[in-house]
Amino acid sequence: MALRLIVAVVVSVGLSGAPALAQQGPAGITTPSVLAPFDPQAAACSAPSGLGKSLLFAMDNDRDFITGAGAGLMAAAKDRGLSYAAVNAQSDAARQAEQIRAAITAKSGAVVTAPVDALALAPILQEVIWSGAYVGTIVPPPAITILNAPQYLTGRTLAEDAARHIREKFGGKADVVLLTHDSLQFLAPRFAAMRDVLSEMPEVTIVADISPATVDEAGGYHAMQTVLEAFPNVDVVLGADTVVLGALRALREAGRDRPDQYLGGIDGEPQAVTEILGGTGPYKASIALSSPIFGYALGQYAADWLEGRSVPQAMDVLPFALTKDNIAQYRADQNDPGAVFADPVRRDAYLRMYGNICADSRDQYLNFPWSSEAG
Amino acid sequence: MPTSLRTVVWSTAIFLLVGLLALVGIVGATLWLGERAQAYSSVAAEARLTRSAAIEFRNALQGAESGQRGYVIARNEIYLAPYATAKTQAARQFSLLEGRLADQPEARVPLERLAAIVDEKFAEMDRIIALERAGQHAEALLIFNSNRGKALMDEANVFVSGLVRRIEDQLATGIAEQQANAGLLRLVSAAGAFVIIAVVGGAGYMLSRYAAEARQARDEVRALNAGLERRVEERTADLVVERDKAEILLSEVNHRLANSLALVASLVSMQAKSLEDPAAKAALGEAHDRILAISLVHRRLYGSRDVRAVTLDEYLAALLEQLKASLHGDGQASIKHSLDPVTLPTDTAINLGVVVTEWVTNAFKYAYPNGSGEVRVRLARLPEGRVELAVEDDGVGHPEGEAVKGTGLGTRIVRAMAASMRADVEYSARHPGFSARYVFTPAAG
Repeated sequence: MALRLIVAVVVSVGLSGAPALAQQGPAGITTPSVLAPFDPQAAACSAPSGLGKSLLFAMDNDRDFITGAGAGLMAAAKDRGLSYAAVNAQSDAARQAEQIRAAITAKSGAVVTAPVDALALAPILQEVIWSGAYVGTIVPPPAITILNAPQYLTGRTLAEDAARHIREKFGGKADVVLLTHDSLQFLAPRFAAMRDVLSEMPEVTIVADISPATVDEAGGYHAMQTVLEAFPNVDVVLGADTVVLGALRALREAGRDRPDQYLGGIDGEPQAVTEILGGTGPYKASIALSSPIFGYALGQYAADWLEGRSVPQAMDVLPFALTKDNIAQYRADQNDPGAVFADPVRRDAYLRMYGNICADSRDQYLNFPWSSEAG
Repeated sequence: MPTSLRTVVWSTAIFLLVGLLALVGIVGATLWLGERAQAYSSVAAEARLTRSAAIEFRNALQGAESGQRGYVIARNEIYLAPYATAKTQAARQFSLLEGRLADQPEARVPLERLAAIVDEKFAEMDRIIALERAGQHAEALLIFNSNRGKALMDEANVFVSGLVRRIEDQLATGIAEQQANAGLLRLVSAAGAFVIIAVVGGAGYMLSRYAAEARQARDEVRALNAGLERRVEERTADLVVERDKAEILLSEVNHRLANSLALVASLVSMQAKSLEDPAAKAALGEAHDRILAISLVHRRLYGSRDVRAVTLDEYLAALLEQLKASLHGDGQASIKHSLDPVTLPTDTAINLGVVVTEWVTNAFKYAYPNGSGEVRVRLARLPEGRVELAVEDDGVGHPEGEAVKGTGLGTRIVRAMAASMRADVEYSARHPGFSARYVFTPAAG
């Protein structure tokens, strides 16, 4: 889900380095730099003129993660008196480009998008920025506010929860299987984080560190079958939810699943959540990125932008480790992102903002693949 | 309850048996554990060789991959220098691994998978190298970027790691068993030592208890003996006192008896002197001498510590002195004697004193009617333990067939004495003179 977005960004940016269109406005910040924490008290500036109080969400497709973000955007638009519209490109980059151009024509005040083709969409998004409108992207540049999913932190969050379980249930000694995702290079920090955390536990052994041939349930199933031939008893399995669910099926078929095992995934897949809620199986946690909450935040910042306020240049959506003890609260937060955003403590648990920008300083928009974990 | 020697022997035997069993247990456990350690050592050596083969295999695989990647990146043949060697080494080590794990059924599937992975991995590397050599770098990179090579390597690592883990688990199990065995040996040794110490202590306790009881018994016997000896000494002292009293009493009795007999003899003598009849006077005179003879024995017994025996030679010497004084008026004879030392019972001595008195008195009266002469008394030991008492004179003798002078009482007395002593009495004439012999065998004791 969120991964596909990130894939598009990395591929497009990685191969081109910067948009190759005719310069019609400022290029923005193209050199990777570190942003200071967002200052909500920063001075306001002029509100953009000639733009409607409207918010468009240009989706790449309608997967759960994106529709969740749309729900948050819609709630924020409603709370701030913006008109809201959502369009689905159905993974068609050209269609998405047309949809956003239409927004420019309509002088829409804000556009939030999950690009199908980040490289192709970048010059169009620059046009939106130059028009004075707010642009939020999930995840690639250029944008007034870039949403980032910190991969290392995501992996570390999962690994630390697993480490806690290993210490509590196994006395610090465990055989661990990492089901990686070699086909998506940008996800490597996730697994690097897992290896870093586990390497601090001298009695933990990563008995398998392999990438399933396909990153889905079947791939996880076959990879785990292979691992079980060499290591019939494993204590911990970490990876994306889909592959870990496949590994769980392999464990169950081999009769090697145990209640004290720790299976943990990333993405908050509904089936993983169901396993976690069961409470007695090996599936113990899933790392989720709350798209309604960051969607709501982007909607709020879009409204602020149109009012001349300073908004963040970038925003981390923080990983949230779902366990059977906190899923109810997590779901409640998903359903009421406005309440979370209004509560600084709860908001900080989900989001972290960086940099400041307003309509007068919009030439300082980010035009490089920003990450809070870079450098 | 006192400890008997039988109890000590049995308990000591049981203690020794228990100690022996404990020792056998310790030795047996040590031997068994030694066997187990030896067996483990062999298994461990094999396991280490197998692990070494697995690790060498993985090293060779990684070496080959490293060379291949170096060649793809740098397009320089020098990176392929170790490739062929690593490939050969990988095949050799895998073959070794298969041989060493042939007897482990659980290793069959992983080995089969590993063989397939290795074949595919080397095929992929060979293909990429071939493409590079053919100048088809883009095609080579396409295969390279498919990540299939990495995936194969990751899978190979999983299986090699699994094999190494299995071997290490075997080693760990063996080590755990050795540690448990060492603990068991310590336990057995400690228990055995405890049993042996308990056995030695028990045996020592039994022996010391027995020895203590023996000492106590000995001390009690000593105390009893001491008491007994003290009582014997007391009784002996009492007996000595009583004996002394009895001896004093006996001596007093003999003294009084001797005095009484002497008084009787004096009365007889006074009676004789008052008579006119010579025969009566002579008879009383003889009676006087006989009584004195008996009195003299008691007088000797008075001074003697042994009233049961009399030294006859001394007694006869004294008797003859007394007879010599008593018979002085009856003739001019003299008395000579030759007396061998002879000790006889008191009764026998009295008898012999009466016999000597009879015969010496007769010799004084009848042997020398006209003058003086010699009367000889002889006491001599004869062969075969016999004793001879003889009285001889050189006088007129006693014609055969002539009636015995006097009353004949003396002859009857001598005959009665001889009969009581089973003595032989012999009278014989000498020319001149007369001889009377009294030969007897002293009674034993």
